[in-house]
Amino acid sequence: MNGLAGEVGGLVYSVGAGPRERQTIIDLPALDVKPGELTVLSGPSGSGKSTLLYLLAGLLVPDRGRIAWGGEALTGMGEARRDRWRRENAGFIFQNFHLIEELSPLDNVLMTGWFGGFSTRGLRSRAAALLERFGVPIERRRTSLLSRGEQQRVAIARALLFDPSLVFADEPTASLDGAAGGLVTRTLREIADEGRTVVAASHDPALLSIADRTVRLDHGRLVPATQAEAA
Amino acid sequence: MNPFPLVLATLRRNRFTAILFVTVIALAVALGIAISAQERALRLGSARAADRFDLIVAAPGSQNDVLFSVVYLDPTAVELLSPEMTAAVLNGGRADFAAPIGFGDNFNGDPVVGTSAEFVDHLSRGLAEGRLFTRLDEAVVGALSPNRVGDRLAIRHGHADGLSGNDADAAADAHEAGEDHVEAEEEPGHSHVDVAVVGRMKPTGTPWDRAVVVPVEYNWFAHGMGTGHLPGETRIGAPYEAAPGVPAIVIKPENLAAAYGLRNRYRTTESTAFFPAEVLVEIYAVMGNVARIMSGLTLAAQVLVVAAILAGILALLDLQRQRFAVLRALGAPGSFVFAVVWLYVGTLIAGGALIGLPLGWGVAAIVSRLVARETGVAMTAQIGIAELALVGALLCVGFLLALVPALLTYRKPVVEALR
Repeated sequence: MNGLAGEVGGLVYSVGAGPRERQTIIDLPALDVKPGELTVLSGPSGSGKSTLLYLLAGLLVPDRGRIAWGGEALTGMGEARRDRWRRENAGFIFQNFHLIEELSPLDNVLMTGWFGGFSTRGLRSRAAALLERFGVPIERRRTSLLSRGEQQRVAIARALLFDPSLVFADEPTASLDGAAGGLVTRTLREIADEGRTVVAASHDPALLSIADRTVRLDHGRLVPATQAEAA
Repeated sequence: MNPFPLVLATLRRNRFTAILFVTVIALAVALGIAISAQERALRLGSARAADRFDLIVAAPGSQNDVLFSVVYLDPTAVELLSPEMTAAVLNGGRADFAAPIGFGDNFNGDPVVGTSAEFVDHLSRGLAEGRLFTRLDEAVVGALSPNRVGDRLAIRHGHADGLSGNDADAAADAHEAGEDHVEAEEEPGHSHVDVAVVGRMKPTGTPWDRAVVVPVEYNWFAHGMGTGHLPGETRIGAPYEAAPGVPAIVIKPENLAAAYGLRNRYRTTESTAFFPAEVLVEIYAVMGNVARIMSGLTLAAQVLVVAAILAGILALLDLQRQRFAVLRALGAPGSFVFAVVWLYVGTLIAGGALIGLPLGWGVAAIVSRLVARETGVAMTAQIGIAELALVGALLCVGFLLALVPALLTYRKPVVEALR
């Protein structure tokens, strides 16, 4: 597996209606994400780490600046192309898992295969293998009966169905207790070790401790490494 | 792209609301279907009922009243043709037969109609049981009459009560003996004669199916107007040498030219003549206008129901905005989210419409049965092009309106919904 390298330059993202009311949320002169690394965006609440993650995933469009993955500029793409890029290159893990309770765990993993644009051959066995790998019994019919840790592992399996080179995770352990969080942390480390680029927004010390790189943010700006270490 | 598992999941998520929405749409559709199917059943049933009444001649006045009295045996008071005009029409020629129709009596609530054996045979297309009447004191009953062949019925003028039979028997004997008039004890001016049921008609799909049909001579005799024949004459049927006035005469013209010729001939100052179809066409025109207005109103009501439900669905989908945002974040194209929502809303509308169609038909069938029981006019509610068009129109409008929540959900900012 070859993870994608990320390049960010001159990134500015602001919100608000008029020029006077606009508030800059992200102001990032440069950031490189190395392929196959687990990079954690950290910082206190409101620091902009989740917003940066959404920008990196192409879910938000910056006011200006450039984001590129594997040399392909995300910022030049229209919405439909960004959807397609995400579908083909990235997996996404959420804090609250966002599984569809009315579907079985297996169908939750298979769901991204229903979006179209992929060959669905062998997907069912791959989905079953992923669930098995992450210790979720595939015979379970009701997602709502899974523990929170199991639900997050189903979400990770869903993110990996098409073997993406890039995985985004938004506060993946924030809704889990210590043991379940630890298991998810180790899983993220594992999938990075397989060569994928993993970018997570988190302030979980356990995840920070196993990250290849930590990017600290404060009010949408990078905190220099020396300050970050002091903090 | 396969949005169906997620459509089903979305339906399951709010299954009770979905059932409620489908039920409301189904009821709205059923109402429209029932009105439309019932109106057509009424039209077809009434047209079929009038089919064997080729040409009707009556005293000048409302043709509608005559039609309803003669064909549907509606107890409306109609003027009598004068004896001269009656004789002229009955003996006018150019017809297979001219049958006088007399009514006004009933037996146990069912109408007693006087006419000729020829007309009974024509109306019933042969009998189901027994034979036609050949005597003044014989009767044929309709297919749905509770009376049986062999029963003796004591008919009284305007009443349904039974009669001991002694006076009636005496009257019949008197008629056999050539006496024209027998006074009754209870109602001066009216004679009572027991009649024997000798035959049963085949179903005609008209109120005549419940009638007791007697020779018209019985009506005249019972009302103290002689027998329509010369004194001493005991036979029944044409020619009627001394016919008193009658409410109507049904003519079976010998051919089409004769039909129009007779109709023109009897449109005089003393009589009117008409084909039932021409009166029904006018009635149907009014009914059709009303039906069209009602259908339009029903469709409008259905569209309003769908619009109201769409407003509910919008609120429901807003609660699920995070689910759709997640799909987008996972790489689902906008068209996929659009398809899920559109099919979800479409399924509710289509489900309601498809359940409403047989439900409406069922309601119309029940109403038809009740109306048939009430009027005697056989009618069958059927789903036709009009009802299918109504459902089709609702489906088209519904699927078109379903684009609104689909577009709104598809356009929702992803990150805003994710947070």
